[in-house]
Amino acid sequence: MSKSVATDGLDLPWARRLAGHSDPSRRFRGVGPIVAIALVGGIWSLVAYLQIWSEIILPTPDRVWSALVESVTSEGGRRGLSGHYLWEHVGASLWRIIRGVFWAAAFGAPLGLGLGLFRTFQAVAEPIVGFLRSLPPLGYFSLLIIWFGIDDTSKVWLLFIAAFPPIAIGVAAGVASIQPERVKAALTLGATRRDLVRHTILPSTLPDLLTGLRVAIGFAWTTIVAAETSNGIPGIGGLAWATKKELRSDVAILCVIVIGVVAVLMDLVIRLIERRLLPWRRRS
Amino acid sequence: MTVTPQQAETAPSPGAEGETVRGLRLRGVSHVYRGGVRDVVSLDPLDLDVVAGEFLVIVGPSGCGKSTLLEILAGLIRPTSGDVFIDDRRVVGPSRDRAVVFQQSTSLYPWLTVRRNVELGLRVRNLPRSERRSRADAELARVGLSEFADQWPHELSGGMQQRCQIARALAVDPPILLLDEPFGALDALTRENLQHSLREIWRETRRTVVMVTHSVEEAVLLGTRVLVMSHRPGRVVDDLRFGFVTLNSTVAEIRSRPDFVETCRTLRSQLLGL
Ligand SMILES: Nc1ncnc2c1ncn2[C@@H]1O[C@H](COP(=O)(O)OP(=O)(O)O)[C@@H](O)[C@H]1O
Ligand SMILES: [Mg+2]
Repeated sequence: MSKSVATDGLDLPWARRLAGHSDPSRRFRGVGPIVAIALVGGIWSLVAYLQIWSEIILPTPDRVWSALVESVTSEGGRRGLSGHYLWEHVGASLWRIIRGVFWAAAFGAPLGLGLGLFRTFQAVAEPIVGFLRSLPPLGYFSLLIIWFGIDDTSKVWLLFIAAFPPIAIGVAAGVASIQPERVKAALTLGATRRDLVRHTILPSTLPDLLTGLRVAIGFAWTTIVAAETSNGIPGIGGLAWATKKELRSDVAILCVIVIGVVAVLMDLVIRLIERRLLPWRRRS
Repeated sequence: MTVTPQQAETAPSPGAEGETVRGLRLRGVSHVYRGGVRDVVSLDPLDLDVVAGEFLVIVGPSGCGKSTLLEILAGLIRPTSGDVFIDDRRVVGPSRDRAVVFQQSTSLYPWLTVRRNVELGLRVRNLPRSERRSRADAELARVGLSEFADQWPHELSGGMQQRCQIARALAVDPPILLLDEPFGALDALTRENLQHSLREIWRETRRTVVMVTHSVEEAVLLGTRVLVMSHRPGRVVDDLRFGFVTLNSTVAEIRSRPDFVETCRTLRSQLLGL
């Protein structure tokens, strides 16, 4: 009698998936975040209600909930938290982001095209862009404050400088990776230099621009929250920073959650815009 | 018909509507790739006359300079020495009187639907939308892609992508059509299908075609004339005339003719002996 021989290689779901089989566990993807939230929330509640540490170290979920309520209401002389409602804090931060990233895109996209198209320009400008990108933004924030004051202008400058390198470098890489056949086809169909930019280069690099924008917004968000530690009220980063004086750990946790949720939402919005602008990328 | 050089060194051919071209002439055209570790001589000096209406096929071993030659004809590469003329005009760059079909369908624009891809050459000429559309639809019908006009290129099979490229090239009504191994990446059956279509298109329009292939069968089946090139640096070692493409029989019938089979055998052994 012959015994059939097989390895156990395909017995595990991950092995089947890596071997290119369709993966039935994809079904659970949608509920993953819900399970994750429930899990983290559950452990937090458990530890907090057991009162292993004091309220100040680890507030309970309902303390944080009260902080949320406090942040959107006023009572007596109090108006929201640190004098502003939660949406004013978030709105102020977002407004800084929007201005900084707008200028970053307006400057970074043409710069990226220039880097991608002109070799001599690239030789000089790329080291500068690369240097700026490698700097932690808070490293040059003091200088910006000295130049532009402590108000919003210096923060928008900070965001601009933090956000334009990923956009410029993304667009430049996009230009460099345009398939030569695309350009050749346009040329032999009679495209002029202008046609080439308009019909071939710009649409070819649009996906890279959007990817660069997404990276830039993510980076700008982490930067602004840190930058608001100086004169950042209203601002969600400023609010988070202010909690340390009064030991408001409930507000600190509230800020962490809000900062995270806003980051996820911004990413979602960019992805929706990508889907709109790049319909051919949609695959069933 | 011979063409005499009268006004050499004029501006790039404008490719006016309905323009007829009498022929293509190459005089002392050679090419060297520079800038690498060492210079690569890809083409030895070449003289060639292509008469209008000819279906010229270039065969030769891989790396012998076929693509280089075709891109020189397209105006995408400048010859290191020598000149290309279309009638009396010297070629100084690409123009839509010489549309190209590439082997890679990466030349299609992924963000444009099939129809809008075919319209590309008409858009850069600023033709009105309705005219673009009717001409694109006519070419799509010719290559059998009407049903797929609103799909994205990546939704098409490899063979259909090449049909789309052909339609896009034909839409600008080029007097000369250049193809670089257009069916090289396709499976055998799809390839035969497209050979049939290209044959029909040529028989209908009698356009001047220059096609590069490494398939001996394809060359004999489609070419009125076949150039055999040597190993790099490419030289033309034989210049043959065939009439199979003008026969009034189907591609399948031609393939099974003894003289077709014999011709292919001879040409193949010639190529293997290079
Ligand atoms: N960009 C390049 N730089 C240097 N050598 C090249 C380049 N492109 C092609 N070659 C060389 O030139 C020769 C001819 O290339 P090509 O025209 O593509 O040949 P074919 O199309 O007949 O296969 C080949 O030997 C190839 O290696
Ligand atoms: Mg080739």
